[in-house]
Amino acid sequence: MSKYILPVFILLVIVVAFIKKVPIYDNFVKGSKESLSIVLSIFPYICAVLIAVELFSLSGLNAYFAKIMSPILTFLGIPEELCELLIIRPLSGNGSLAILEDIYKTHGADAYISRCASVIVGASETVFYVGTVYFSTTKVKKLRYAIPISLVSCYIGAIMACVLCKFI
Amino acid sequence: MNLVFTVMILASLIMLVVVAPESAFSIMIGGANNALTLAFTLIAIYAIWLSILSLMDGIGLNKALNKLFRPLTKRLFKGESDIALEYITLNFSANLLGMGGAATPLGIKAMECMQDGSNKATDNMILFMVINSTSIQLIPATIIGLRASAGSNAPSDIILPSLLATLISTVTGVILAKLCALFTHKKDKAESVEPRKPLFAVVKARKKI
Repeated sequence: MSKYILPVFILLVIVVAFIKKVPIYDNFVKGSKESLSIVLSIFPYICAVLIAVELFSLSGLNAYFAKIMSPILTFLGIPEELCELLIIRPLSGNGSLAILEDIYKTHGADAYISRCASVIVGASETVFYVGTVYFSTTKVKKLRYAIPISLVSCYIGAIMACVLCKFI
Repeated sequence: MNLVFTVMILASLIMLVVVAPESAFSIMIGGANNALTLAFTLIAIYAIWLSILSLMDGIGLNKALNKLFRPLTKRLFKGESDIALEYITLNFSANLLGMGGAATPLGIKAMECMQDGSNKATDNMILFMVINSTSIQLIPATIIGLRASAGSNAPSDIILPSLLATLISTVTGVILAKLCALFTHKKDKAESVEPRKPLFAVVKARKKI
């Protein structure tokens, strides 16, 4: 069922656009152009963070961290293969996409681990990135309870993801 | 973020200097290289979604979404101006479609409209951030794209579990944020008493879509 949602949705939008005489080709040109400028503006963030993430994971520090965390996470029902992802997830969205691709490569894209990882990434956001970027142009310096609550909610989502993937 | 970044880089580099000093620089270049590869993937994914988003705008679907969310946003973000509500609605719509890149500028503008001039985040700003942090995507397009290119047989079979997990984490976030708002402002209870009603509206709004 869910494999039809995406293509049918796109098809519907295009059909309705055709009926309403919205220029489809022009809109695709426009969208592709905007895509370039968006990625250009977030690239510095991706680059800086991925350098740190690469250092963090290849220096072995991440494995050390994951080792400490894994008893807690397995207790909560999260497979230990996902520790690294859970640590990076709130730090860097694109870093976690990179780890996600890594998980796909090692376990195969259709494995339980990969599905869990996909849902975890899909059902959470980069808490620290959102916190920095969203408040960046305001005068706000004190985020009060914003980050703790965001983190707790995301991790509850992650636990649910591992449960849901067993059944769906 | 600066603190987290600094701690990560410092700790990793110290560890590398002890364990494998010759690989430190190549690891950093590797990281930048990953960013470059990822950027190209993202350009492709965003190109498709921004095109569809602009088509949706053309056929009036965005306006419909706007209408659909207005009762909800008005209740969730009490006392915000019309412009703020509009940016919030558009940000939610972009988020629903998994367009993080398009949602971000809208989110920044919404925050600007919501600030009260002090250096503390208001309850509404925090609520907005929490909802954005728990992600409210209908279709996690980026991940489906990545899964498809990794050779998955059914890349979109994660849509349903993602939706449910997202719903649970978002509802949890809203309840926690509202509770915190309640506890930090015991004096003006009347302003933030009703976490229940809007939550029900979330579920209703989702069903309609």
